[in-house]
Amino acid sequence: MQALAQMWGRSGGGFTTAQQNFFAEMAKRMADAAGQPPASAPAGFFQPQELTAANQTFAALWKSALEMSQSFARTMQQGKKTDPLVSDLMSKLFDPRTWFTSLGGMDETLQRMAEGPRLADLWDTERKLLAVFNAWTTLRQRSIEHNTVMLEAWMRAAAAFARTLNEKAERKEPLGSWREVLALWVETANTTLLETQRSEKYLDSQREILKASIDLRLAQQALAGFYSEVFGYPTRAEVDDVHRTVTELRREVRALARANRESTTRKTRAPRKKATAPVGLAPGA
Amino acid sequence: MAEQPRPSEIEPEQAVREAASLAEKVARGTELFTKLRDEEVTIATTPKCEVWRQDKVTLHHYRPLAEKKVSTPVLIVYGLIGRYTMADLQEDRSLVRNLLKLGIDLYVVDWGNPSRADRWLTLDDYIDGYLAECVEFIAQQHAIDKVSLLGICEGGVFTTCHAALRPATVKTLVLTITPIDFHGDTVENRLGHGFINIWTRSLQPADIDRLIDAYGNLPGEFMGSVFSMMTPMRTLMKYNFDMLEVMDDEKKFLNFLRMEKWLADRPHHPGEAAKQWLKDLYQDNKLVKNAFTINGRRVDLRNITMPVLNVFAKDDHIIPPATSQALGAKVGSKDYHELALPGGHVGVFVGGKSQALLGSGIAKWLAERQ
Repeated sequence: MQALAQMWGRSGGGFTTAQQNFFAEMAKRMADAAGQPPASAPAGFFQPQELTAANQTFAALWKSALEMSQSFARTMQQGKKTDPLVSDLMSKLFDPRTWFTSLGGMDETLQRMAEGPRLADLWDTERKLLAVFNAWTTLRQRSIEHNTVMLEAWMRAAAAFARTLNEKAERKEPLGSWREVLALWVETANTTLLETQRSEKYLDSQREILKASIDLRLAQQALAGFYSEVFGYPTRAEVDDVHRTVTELRREVRALARANRESTTRKTRAPRKKATAPVGLAPGA
Repeated sequence: MAEQPRPSEIEPEQAVREAASLAEKVARGTELFTKLRDEEVTIATTPKCEVWRQDKVTLHHYRPLAEKKVSTPVLIVYGLIGRYTMADLQEDRSLVRNLLKLGIDLYVVDWGNPSRADRWLTLDDYIDGYLAECVEFIAQQHAIDKVSLLGICEGGVFTTCHAALRPATVKTLVLTITPIDFHGDTVENRLGHGFINIWTRSLQPADIDRLIDAYGNLPGEFMGSVFSMMTPMRTLMKYNFDMLEVMDDEKKFLNFLRMEKWLADRPHHPGEAAKQWLKDLYQDNKLVKNAFTINGRRVDLRNITMPVLNVFAKDDHIIPPATSQALGAKVGSKDYHELALPGGHVGVFVGGKSQALLGSGIAKWLAERQ
């Protein structure tokens, strides 16, 4: 236990020292870049000295907490023989690392929310970017496949056009003007393209290109939603949610207004009953 | 190796003449093109005023152009794909003007410009909500119980559903280029007709759900590109050869530009409503099976007991005639008539041949059922 406490203390101290050195070096480099002495960074500029100072305060406190923990550990080793389990439990209770783990949950969460992905989450961003890239390449591929179908159709149209021209020439029915040639081409190509549109090959490639474009759009939206969450902007899903609520509310208001109108109409149209004298009273009483 | 065409027998002099004529046309056209301004290309100019509004939906009452011949007002209901302005494209190609001149009291509902904020609106909201309230408003204004409806395409489906659910509020029902049997394209199976039906059936329901999840709505430009695909060579030729043909004639060129202005106005189709349109109707064909529901109530076509006039275009490649004609066998009305007109889906409204037929055909039918 003691050895563990010491090892942990050394590593914790090493970490804070390294952090202090890092920020001090950064402060010096930034000051050099700004052409100013380290203590005179422009107003509003990041002040590394303050962070270094905070770090130093923490490091000092950490050292005290370590010493306290070690002192407790020493105390618990003295006297009559103690139960090892109880000893272990007591050690944990007075271990500063345990304090941070148990109380730092909120801090950790806030820190993660503010700073974005942790090291463990880093690949989430990469995965989302990769999804966009994959969707884009898939769309390009589907587009090429669809263009192939269309090119085959155009080639069939051109072949049919050539055939018709030759047949007309053989029958001694040549076309007399460029307008007639153009009209024949338009008609031939139109027929071929319309036939192609009904083919399974065309409909399949159309469907695939539509799906690919939707996948790209959704991947882009997922990435945008991710960064919106990080930077605090409303996401598409959140705005859609608001619109849904508004639409539902409008529906309710319309229904209520209609019910009110119908009720008013019924009351207006209801015939009024003729007034009768109460039973038991003589007329004129 | 593919067969090669033999050289054509076009005379060189003819070719030179044609080239010269084309060059002249281009020169005149370029001058006209640079002279025209966007504000000169106006559509839907028949005077009207806004009389009711809810959310993005507005109801308009047209100013009369003649003495009233039919007492029951008529509400024009277009769909959510495109806009009603096609029915009032220009002065000499306007169903609206033709009906007004024939003494019809006319209203029109404009669904506005849905955005992503409207993605959760359903067909139930449009049919049982906005449309029902428009009908109620018109009835109150005129102190009547029933209003006549004139539905166009998807708007015809709206009016059909309304008439089936609330027959007591409808005097007569006029449908134009309206699909009822969404699988009716297989009856004639004409090449180039019913592509939307075929294309929608090639998708899985999950594909449609993901499309709407990705975009929120059915984007207007998406439907625009589907329509363009239905006439591939026309689409390719439109802005070169077709435009060249008309651009030296100011009247024809303005007609061309007005049509383009209408085509460019492609509102988004609210997402949940689009899911119903594509899945419940185009894929599952629920309407003609009496299985389509609005706010939990089944739309039973047998409840359509008022007089019905079903107008369709004989060469409609978007709504093949059989998809409209299917209504005849399903309605409960004893007074059901069809009017088959020459032309295509839009041509029946803006084509020269149909101008004299569509408006007068509808007005005469309405007058006979006062």
